[in-house]
This record gives sequence, C-alpha cells and structure tokens, in this order.
Amino acid sequence: MIPRRGLLATRARLLAANLLLLGALSACVGAAREPVDSLSELGGGETVVVGRVELVPALRKDEQKIKGLNSSSFENKVFLIADEHYRVLKEEPVMADYAGRIEAILGKNFFVRSNSKPFFILGGMLYLDLGGREMNRAYFPGGLKVSIKPGEKAVYVGTLQYHRNEFFEITKVAVVDDYERATAEFKKKFGVKYPLRKALLTPAK
Amino acid sequence: MKHRLWLALGLITLGLLAGCASTGPQRDINDPTNSLVFGYIDMDDAPTSVSSAWLTQVAPPSDMPYWGLGVNKGLFYNSYLPPGSYQLSKLGGSGFFAGQHEYGFPRQGSKTALRIAKPGIYFLGSFKYKKVKSGMFEQAKFSIEKINKPTEAELLKRILDEDSEVKNSAWGNKIRARLAQLKS
Repeated sequence: MIPRRGLLATRARLLAANLLLLGALSACVGAAREPVDSLSELGGGETVVVGRVELVPALRKDEQKIKGLNSSSFENKVFLIADEHYRVLKEEPVMADYAGRIEAILGKNFFVRSNSKPFFILGGMLYLDLGGREMNRAYFPGGLKVSIKPGEKAVYVGTLQYHRNEFFEITKVAVVDDYERATAEFKKKFGVKYPLRKALLTPAK
Repeated sequence: MKHRLWLALGLITLGLLAGCASTGPQRDINDPTNSLVFGYIDMDDAPTSVSSAWLTQVAPPSDMPYWGLGVNKGLFYNSYLPPGSYQLSKLGGSGFFAGQHEYGFPRQGSKTALRIAKPGIYFLGSFKYKKVKSGMFEQAKFSIEKINKPTEAELLKRILDEDSEVKNSAWGNKIRARLAQLKS
C-alpha cells in the first residue's frame, strides 16, 4: 500500500509513474512471448504454445479501469509470468520477472512462440486500475509446468481457470481440457500439416 | 471584527462536522435495510492522522460505488449502508508539516472487506498503520495490521457518546442491544 503526499504533486508523480510503466511493459521490459500467425515463422528449436486463461466469474464492466493512450495493451489481459527455471515468487514480481511472459487475453486462445523446452508458469497479474489516480493489480498463483518435447511444433496446455470472489481472492485454480475447441481454431489458423499435441499444465512439483 | 470571529468559529464548526459526517450516497438513517459498519485505525506511526475514509462497494455493481465514512479520532463508521460487499478503499488526512496524504488500499484481498448479507451491525476491525521499508527511489509504502484494542464494544460506546444523530435514531437501541450481547 502506498501513501500519496501533496495531492497535486502526487497526481503528477503517479501519472508519470503510470506512463512509465505503461511504456515499460508495452515496450522495454524483457519481451513477451510473441504471438504466432504462421508456423513457418517458427525456427528449428521453437514451438507454438496454445492455451487460454479465464476468470470465473468473468471480469465485470468497470471492474478494470484502464486509462491512457495504450489502454488496449492492458485491457482484459493477464500477464502470465513464465520462466524455464522453476522458482516460487515470494514477493511482488519485479519488472525482470515479466521477461518471457505470456500475454493472454481473457477468454481467448493464445498462440505464442516458445523455445522447445519445458517452462513454468510462476504466477499471473492483471491490472485493475492503471493510468488514472490509482494503480491496482491483482495477482494469480502459478506453480504450473508446461511440458514441451524437443522437436514438436505445437502444444496445447489447456484453459487455466482462476475462480475468484468479488475481492479478487483466488478460490480455486483449475486446468480445463478444452482441446476440441482449441484444435479447431489451431487448424483454421495454421492448417493441418502439424498436429497440436495435448500436454495440459501440471503442478510444477 | 466580532462578525469575523463568528464567521471563523462557524467555519471551524462546519469543518469539524464535515470531518465526522459520512459523505457519498445518502440514505435515511432509519431505513430498515441499513447496516452500521465501523472500525478503527491507529495512525500514530503515519505522517498524518485520518480525516476522511471511503468504502468501495464491489458488489452488487453500482454507478456510485464510493461510500464516505464518518471519521473521528481513528474511529470510522457509516450507519446507512445497503446490503452488498465492501472494501475499505482509501483514507485521507493532512498535517501541518506533512501536507495532504491519501492512503490507498489494494483491491485484491479481504483484510479490510466485508459482506453484508442482511442488515445489522458489522465491525470491520481495529487496525494499526505500519510503515514499510522501501528503496531510496521507491514510493513510500505502508501496511496495516489488526490490533485488539479498541474493542468492538469500546467503539460502539464511542459512536453512542459522540454522534447524537446515531444515538437518537433506530441505531440507538440496536447498538445498546449489541453492547448487552457483547457483555454477556
């Protein structure tokens, strides 16, 4: 929690901090895993990871307040913190933790480029307020493993459902198998040359 | 000169009244669907004392989600909240040297939140402001921790003693009944 001093000066500082953060996350914090539009974009040691994140219940109108020029980069989007090395996030994640993140639009499948190596979902973050006088984030638990085998082109990890209450407390985490819908979208997007292997997220330990 | 003195006294009185009266959406204090929500914050370690406090209604959705709380010497309360889910969202205060401060609470978590399913008296808790170490280039941070004193009964007695509007409303008897319950 942050006390804010001298309201006018504070608003200016907060705005500057928010703009910096907006710019930083959208530009120069270590890059996110890139969305893939064609499998020909993939290099030899790369795999497209397919999955989805859902909030249950879904975000209600006005529960997320994003203001500013770049608002579409943050609206309805969960930042999944991902790393090839498993660790437990004990404190609020810092900028460096977001390198290699997956930017998942809630309720939509993501298709992102990854090294063909297993990696871990360490946690997630959703902006609740950004760009105005307040900055608030909600954090989500991780501790999940994405299993990728060398040489495979596409892996389906499931729908990661975060059940929450009105105070954004996470009451349950579930990995739901929605393979049929995902594979239909995968085939429409990439054709049928490569299969989408099902490898649902598993507990990291 | 005399008029100015009265004007000054009037303004001071207005200021004091504004300090302890709730703001935000208004409802009849005797509405049977009302709940009384109250709590306490010890700001001894904070840069300022508290002169304003706000609850945010997080459910059901509302176009006017911010409910002001009456504040007096750490005690904060609202006597006309409809059923719903609420979070303590913001405290405000000012000091001669410290200037004006706002203390914002995170929206994730239920440490200072409550659900009102049916009308009644709800004690949010007593809390103490704690300064949290932050880096040289970081914004100042704080946390709050729950404390045992003042108790629910002590704070209800204060509301009766300090707010004649509440004391003379339907709340007077309800608070006395709650105090008797707490004693037994």
